[in-house]
Order: sequence, then C-alpha cells, then structure tokens
Amino acid sequence: MLLRGLTWLVLFQLLGTAINHLLLPMLPGPIIGLLLLLAWLISRGEVAQPLSEASSSLLRYLPLLLVPPAVGVMVYAKDIAADFWAIVGALVLSCLLTLVLVGVLMQKLIHRQAARKEQP
Amino acid sequence: MNPDWQGALDAVVHHPLFGIGITLGAYQLAVAAYDKTRWIFLQPVLVSMLLVIGVLLLCGIHYPEYRKSTEILNILLGPATVALAVPLYLNLRRIRQLFWPTFTTLVIGGVFATVACVALGYWFGAEHMILMTMAPKSVTSPIAMLVAEQIGGVAALAAVFVLITGVLGAIFGPALLDRFGVTSPEARGMSLGVTAHAVGTSVALQESDECGAFAALAMSLMGVATAVFLPLAVSVIA
Repeated sequence: MLLRGLTWLVLFQLLGTAINHLLLPMLPGPIIGLLLLLAWLISRGEVAQPLSEASSSLLRYLPLLLVPPAVGVMVYAKDIAADFWAIVGALVLSCLLTLVLVGVLMQKLIHRQAARKEQP
Repeated sequence: MNPDWQGALDAVVHHPLFGIGITLGAYQLAVAAYDKTRWIFLQPVLVSMLLVIGVLLLCGIHYPEYRKSTEILNILLGPATVALAVPLYLNLRRIRQLFWPTFTTLVIGGVFATVACVALGYWFGAEHMILMTMAPKSVTSPIAMLVAEQIGGVAALAAVFVLITGVLGAIFGPALLDRFGVTSPEARGMSLGVTAHAVGTSVALQESDECGAFAALAMSLMGVATAVFLPLAVSVIA
C-alpha cells in the first residue's frame, strides 16, 4: 500500500518535471507536481488510502531529509559573516511586523464578516 | 606488527555510508533532545545540522563528499514536496466559511512578509544573493529551498533562514499577538502559520485545535502561493 502511494507521488513529480521542461521553466518540477496532485484531489473529492499513507510517512521524516542541504551552510560561512547584521535585522523585523499585521487583519476581517451576516 | 589504525579510520570515514550514518545518528539525537526538553531553540534540523557540521570538520570531510553520500535522502525531497498537497487539501476543506477573510489576509500578509524582508535587507546593505535567499523565508523549508534556488539564492542558506524565522515567530508570536489584542483562534493560527510555518504551527496546535488547523492551512497556502508567484514576480522585475 505504501509503495503504491509512493509511486503516485513519484509519478506526479515526474509529470511536473516534464511540464517544467516544456511549458513553465520558472516553476520547479516538484511544485508543479504538488499543484497537479492538489487539483487531482479536489476533483476526486477524497484522499485514497495508499496516498495518505505514503504522504504521511514521508512528511514525518521531512526534517531528516532537510538536514543534508542545511549542512551546506558550512560552505557559505563567509557570506553570512559579511552580511550578518543585515540578515538578522531583516529577518527579525519583517517576522515581527508580519506577525502583528496578519493577526490584526484576519481578526478584523472575521469580525466584519460576522457583523455582515447578522444584519442581512 | 602494529594494526593500521589510521588506515581503518580512513576506510570508515570515507565509506559511502558514513554520511548517511552520521546524519541518521545526529537526527535521532536531536529529536531525543527536543522531545526531552521541549525547548523551542532545539529545532531538530538546526541541531542535527550543527552536529553533522562538527563531525565533518573533525574528520576533515568536505561538503561535496558528504553531499554525494547523502544523495539518496536528497532524492526523496521531491516526492515529499509533492506530498504536501495532501495536508493542504485536507485543510482546505475545513475553512469554507472563512474563505474570504483567509484569502484576503493571505494575499496581503504574504506579499508584506516577502517585500518587507527583501526591502529591509536591501536597506541594511545585504548583497543580491542573500536577498534572493531571504525572500522565501516564511515558507516551509522544502518549498523555500526550491524557490530560493530558482530565483538565484542558495538552498542551504534558505533552509537556515527559514528555521531562524520559524523559531523567532514561535518564541515572540503568542506574546505579541496578546499585546495587540488578537484573541480569535483563527486569527492567531493564521498569523503563526503565515510567518512561522511548521514551527509556528506546532505552537498553534498547543493553543487549540482550531488555532492549529488555521496555522497548518496558512502554512501550506503560503508555501504554494510563494512557490508559484515569487519566481514569477522576480522574473518580471529582473
């Protein structure tokens, strides 16, 4: 069952790679695969058992899969050191500003929608 | 006759399985440390990364050799990215009622997060490569890494920036939202998911199920939106 789901995931990614090559060079193949799978799930209206099994097992180990590429930072230590304060400043400020903006905006919009429903 | 210690050590250290071995070991150690302490700074990816770098430096292995021996893990990253469609689809079904507030917030917040970070970085004098790597920092790591590479950044750095952003959001998020009077669980979840992706989602899940569901949804929508529109936007501007 797990293998069947994995096969579907691989198929969707290969399909995405083909489309990336033929039509959409600016979108990475796996992202196109993700969109195709999403469209397929919406049209089917349910997630088949093998697919949900394969995706949840893969996603459970997602952090492990990310370790080798993250280790690549060791090659860029010099670039980070050169721009250290610019990086830290930009990351911290934009993170905190976005956090507040999104929270306040969403809450306002929810209240407005609720108010509109009460007085039709 | 003396046993050839040096030769044996070299044979082990340069064996093709050595890279996989230390990655698996470091990851399990990191997960165990996180489970035990529940300390938000001890993100498993961050800790395993530091452990692996330490071992590589100690053994004098260069990154390309390590990269080559962990190729098999790397190949699985593609299908894992495709698999993100499943949780996204399951979450989409839950939000029909609040579709428009969610959608509007996502567009405004997502654009703001990306533009603010790049503009601040530019203003503080970071170089182009760093800016392109910081742009997708609010997105879950596999997507951010793919996107960063696509627009002229560096995947490895993107993974680290993503982690830093996630940890920051998770640490300061709840207190900051309290201070600004954001009480509805949907809005809190949305905010944590858009800014702090998976790390924020785990914090949101601790607040309530509803908060967690919106965080997971916001995280996956933000990921897909960034993956689709950021490369387009960069290719239009450049």
